[in-house]
Amino acid sequence: MQIISKDLTFAYNKKAEFNRQALNGVDLVIEEGDVFGIIGHTGSGKSTFIQHLNGLIKTQSGTLKVGSYDLSSGVKNKANVLKQLRSEVGMVFQYPEYQLFAETVYEDVAFGVRNFFPSYTSEQVDEAVQNALNQVGLDYNEIKNKSPFELSGGQKRRVAIAGVLVTKPKVLVLDEPVAGLDPQGKKQLMKLILNLKQNSVKTVVIVSHDLDEVTENCNKVAVFYNGKVVMCDTPKNIFNNVKELESYKLGLPITAKCTQELKKLGVEIDTNYKASDFVENIVRAYKNK
Amino acid sequence: MLADVTFGQYYEANSFVHKMDARVKLILLVLYIVLIFVVKNFYGFLVVLAFLFIATLFSKVPILELLKSIKGVVFIVILTFVLNIFFYRADDAKVIFWFITDKALIFSCFMALRIITLVLGSMLLNLTTTPVALTDGIESLLKPLKYIKFPVHELALVMSIALRFIPILMSEADRIIMAQKARGADFESGNIFKRAKAMIPILIPLLISAFRRAEELGDAMDSRCYSSSAVRTKYRVMRLGWRDLLGALFACVCFAGIIILNIYGGVVS
Ligand SMILES: Nc1ncnc2c1ncn2[C@@H]1O[C@H](COP(=O)(O)OP(=O)(O)OP(=O)(O)O)[C@@H](O)[C@H]1O
Ligand SMILES: [Mg+2]
Repeated sequence: MQIISKDLTFAYNKKAEFNRQALNGVDLVIEEGDVFGIIGHTGSGKSTFIQHLNGLIKTQSGTLKVGSYDLSSGVKNKANVLKQLRSEVGMVFQYPEYQLFAETVYEDVAFGVRNFFPSYTSEQVDEAVQNALNQVGLDYNEIKNKSPFELSGGQKRRVAIAGVLVTKPKVLVLDEPVAGLDPQGKKQLMKLILNLKQNSVKTVVIVSHDLDEVTENCNKVAVFYNGKVVMCDTPKNIFNNVKELESYKLGLPITAKCTQELKKLGVEIDTNYKASDFVENIVRAYKNK
Repeated sequence: MLADVTFGQYYEANSFVHKMDARVKLILLVLYIVLIFVVKNFYGFLVVLAFLFIATLFSKVPILELLKSIKGVVFIVILTFVLNIFFYRADDAKVIFWFITDKALIFSCFMALRIITLVLGSMLLNLTTTPVALTDGIESLLKPLKYIKFPVHELALVMSIALRFIPILMSEADRIIMAQKARGADFESGNIFKRAKAMIPILIPLLISAFRRAEELGDAMDSRCYSSSAVRTKYRVMRLGWRDLLGALFACVCFAGIIILNIYGGVVS
């Protein structure tokens, strides 16, 4: 599903006097197959924007197309259309572990399937839950009857993500999926999320404050600033633009910082800032010097 | 979504009523409520309404903002009205329509008016006094109860913590609702039992987070050695001023008027 947003604006509390524009005309295209990163300093409208993508927030003005769904302002979508949209665009909120409620992990993960596909037989539900738990790297038999509240923080988060994956969404939107995890857990979870692309998930949209994470994993990045998309490009082109980034109150990923410092020492390296082959790039640059 | 709920909603303004001492306003409200239930005739009610109107004018709160608070009690008002029409019995009542008697009609109107003026009056206090000032005021007024070992300070603390956490829990509820909606939860369709059941995925995470927050706050207070029996001074010291005197005087004149009208104005209901 391709996502096209044009001139999207949104204000919380339209009536109140302290009404503030959260989105100020967002123009953005997310292609099918992208691992799309959204960055921007706090309060720039990232969360507000992504909540539009599955119709949780009604568009106030502007056009928004998600695949064949038209969510533009003025378009009335019936409740069942929205429901179908939500089954195809999975949304993982920030700290999703706080949405767990059921007595067992199984019941919690099954919540989505039962809501979206009430006609499923219990075998089909079983299969969907098993699939989802496997996809987030949890052992179905071991965990299905546990209470979600007796799990560790990282496990809880995985269960919560499984609860979204269970409907086999085509687009997965994640708001700060690795926030608050330990470095190892971060890496593992990020790897899991990227692995999803081999399954039914075609497009991944990640909101993140972790620039290293975004550089490493995304093929395209949009920078939000004051409710607008001010830059949208490959990570390489974005982080080449140090001056501009600074004006949007953003720093650099560690690899870009190193590149900057090396440049001052007269070592030019050509890199896409991905940590995985960064060292090799440096070594090569030194050898050529 | 939940932000529409009017609770402890302070209307920011710089007015005569805003600047009055919370304690004075509280006492006046109590007197006002007592009088609403003592009023016996329509003249008295005219004074009540006039008092309310003038107080609103001096509070700079738009009248519409105040009237909005009635929305929440419309159901109760109608219910009271209907029940009273059905069940009010008086000896010398005349039937004016079907089985409805004139006395029942008047009495029902009175009851409805009482509830409406009660809500409007309390709301005016809420709109013109910050929750913090309110709890401070209540604490100060209840102080004498300390002598009979009533935990006044603890009560005030509980109240101010509760007030402080309402907006937080509200926005948390909003977030959880969003998250469950994204998983296909449906709160709008089905019969009442189905809808009640649909609330479980919201209430449980909300309760858990409320307990977590309570525990964290408790730990934070403990680690700062908080003790409720400690003698402490206030950051905002409440002082009575000329506004309080004037406001109280005006209210007392109105209230006295109501009592006089009650004695000499006859009984209508
Ligand atoms: N429920 C709400 N009610 C009122 N205003 C809100 C609400 N949620 C967000 N806002 C405001 O909208 C603006 C954009 O917020 P948003 O949550 O989209 O930012 P963000 O980019 O996700 O920030 P962060 O990185 O901190 O998560 C902010 O100014 C915020 O104060
Ligand atoms: Mg956010």
